[in-house]
Amino acid sequence: MPGPLQYAVWILCSLLEASVVVCAIRRRAFRQYFFLNLYMASEFVASAARFEIVRHYGFLSLTYAYFYYYSDALLTILLFLALSSLYSEVFRELNAERYVQMGSVVLLAGTALFSFAVVHQSFTSVQPSGKIFFHFVLEISQNLYFVGLVLTYILWAAILKLRETRTRLIQLVLSLGVYFSLYAANYALRNLYPSAEVVFVVLNPLIGCFLPFAWAYAFWKLPEEARLAPARLAVSHR
Amino acid sequence: MSKQLAVVAASMFVLVGAMSLKSAVTSKDSGAVLMANGGAPTPPTPKEWKLNGGAPTPPTPKEWKLNGGAPTPPTPKEWKLNGGAPTPPTPKEWK
Repeated sequence: MPGPLQYAVWILCSLLEASVVVCAIRRRAFRQYFFLNLYMASEFVASAARFEIVRHYGFLSLTYAYFYYYSDALLTILLFLALSSLYSEVFRELNAERYVQMGSVVLLAGTALFSFAVVHQSFTSVQPSGKIFFHFVLEISQNLYFVGLVLTYILWAAILKLRETRTRLIQLVLSLGVYFSLYAANYALRNLYPSAEVVFVVLNPLIGCFLPFAWAYAFWKLPEEARLAPARLAVSHR
Repeated sequence: MSKQLAVVAASMFVLVGAMSLKSAVTSKDSGAVLMANGGAPTPPTPKEWKLNGGAPTPPTPKEWKLNGGAPTPPTPKEWKLNGGAPTPPTPKEWK
């Protein structure tokens, strides 16, 4: 059962998720970063629904487990779409949005096919279809997560290469990269040291708070017009 | 056409890279499932789930053990509460 600290982190995270959408609306950035806001709004709704399920059925119930994993898969797909929208934003001036959209669809379909192939391979014919579907949901969620991780770093490299100067956009992409990296590190350490699993399980929701916090900060503190001075142009004082 | 092919090739390259990274990270797989959205506490993974590579198997009710091998087990109350969650079918061995 989650303790008071876990509940506090959970509520804090949900409030931060809602604050991202509120900040984006207040700063008139909701439409420009629609998929980011859609993801955060969905996170908030999923969080509220999970809370209700825990309250009604209990933390150890299968209902919570199933809802948690299914909703997580949907949220990961939305996060993937949010990342694709960041790609579109970065490559807008190159008129490459069409190719970005095409790449997103191909990648999503490829990941789904790969996940299905892995699940299909590991299951025998006597397994029920419902179980295969659940396993597929878990697999695609995790695979999309790693695809997102790689894509974020490629986007960061593109931002450096294209000398992108929009501060808010850079902040959004960088925080996404840190968020993915923190989860990957946590997951890797959890696999390496199963004896200390309790620590890493507690860390998981805390890491979950990082992204809404960073995005809320980006929308609230950084105006759309803010620009970073490229290193080459920066004046150095002797 | 070449641009579209380049997009497909780049997508496949990313997919291969991501799966390689996943293999590297999960090389010492402890049965943990990576979940990365929000602050909700991750539900515990029962031991039975780990045996199946992550896919959760509903726990075997006590009644099943009493029944030997033959008849269909009664549906526990908890199962009715599960809404859309798939109910486990009877394995072939029981027949």
